[in-house]
Amino acid sequence: MDCLEFRRLLLQDPYRAEPELLQHESGCAECAHYAARIRQQEASLRSLLNAPAPPPELAENIRLGARMERRSGYVRRVWMSAAASLLIGISISMFMLFDQQQARGNMLLARSVIHHIEDEAGHLREPGPASPDRVRAVLARFGAELVGDLGPVRFAAECVMRKRTGVHLVLSGEQGPVTAFMMPGEHADSPIPIDSTRFHGEIIPTEWGVLAVVGERGEVIAPIATRLARSVHWPQGSRLSAQTPLAAHLARLGIHSPRTL
Amino acid sequence: MAALSKHFDTLVGALSPELYRYALGLCRNQDVAQDLVQETFLRAWRSQQTLRDIKTARAWLYTILRNEHARLYERQRPEVRDPHLLPEVPVQGYDTRTEAFALRRALDQLDEQYREPLLLQVIGGFSCKEIGRMLSLKPNTVLTRLFRARKMLRDRLDEEGREKQHGLP
Repeated sequence: MDCLEFRRLLLQDPYRAEPELLQHESGCAECAHYAARIRQQEASLRSLLNAPAPPPELAENIRLGARMERRSGYVRRVWMSAAASLLIGISISMFMLFDQQQARGNMLLARSVIHHIEDEAGHLREPGPASPDRVRAVLARFGAELVGDLGPVRFAAECVMRKRTGVHLVLSGEQGPVTAFMMPGEHADSPIPIDSTRFHGEIIPTEWGVLAVVGERGEVIAPIATRLARSVHWPQGSRLSAQTPLAAHLARLGIHSPRTL
Repeated sequence: MAALSKHFDTLVGALSPELYRYALGLCRNQDVAQDLVQETFLRAWRSQQTLRDIKTARAWLYTILRNEHARLYERQRPEVRDPHLLPEVPVQGYDTRTEAFALRRALDQLDEQYREPLLLQVIGGFSCKEIGRMLSLKPNTVLTRLFRARKMLRDRLDEEGREKQHGLP
């Protein structure tokens, strides 16, 4: 070990005591003198840095702070669990309320459809046929276009339901007359089945509004809905929501292009 | 998870004096040093689940204190007392010899990167490996910094001695 290395190691830690270091120190007077000075400086440094004592109250203040923290932590936990319970309660209530409102909205829409058919039951007895021009004219009022064969149409008119105007059609089904309402701007979150003692059918959400197809009990609705979907084009594009067997059936038939139905 | 709560009071009693000294070495202000130590223990209490082994609590507390000090510096720069002045409030163990004032001034002039490892070695008694872990430095870098810190201290003290010999203020 040379003097440079000795001094480098000494300045890293003046109290290190490797045999090599001590050996060099005992054999080199200059380095021994240097080491004595450095150790004296180190002693002063250690004494200076390790002398200040904290104020006597410091430890007690820390313990007090921890006790307060423990207590406030407990109180916080109690409040947090109370708040969490309240939040869960509110969420459940809101969900139930929303669910109830949605169910109520669906029920009212289904009821409006049934009432409308019953109120205007005379249209079910219309012998027809309504001419394709008549159907075109009614659809044209809503910007829709007849592009295919709807089959025999007994009645076609503009009607008012739930303060909105829509297309009221009566078609011929296997079991009797089938009513179709096309209600632009009407909203349904999900398909709504329609069932009464006499009628059955479905309200299907679309992008432009809803389509309700209702026939006598036993009537197979899907082919009629398919025919309606294929034969009427709406101007702003629409798509059947494929969430019901009927909608899925129409989707399988490819009747969900943006301009169809 | 180590049961800090069980040992908390003991740790406060055993470690608050040396942590106070370390804090004082970092911030050079007694009031701030007290606050730093209190905040350190409070943070340790709140995040005790992060302490895996109670045996490492000491180094952990030093690291928390160092981080607290850095955080404090981000917000504000605490007033550093002139090392030539006596503290306003008497501090037990405050060395009032001329040599002590000179050494204090030399220490104050050290750049933080040199003062920090020196404080951890002298006050905390940590090895260069431990200091390296705490400061995220390689052990060799720690050794270099310790070497430079002491060399600078010695040079400044020598310089001051020469100035005195020549009657300079």
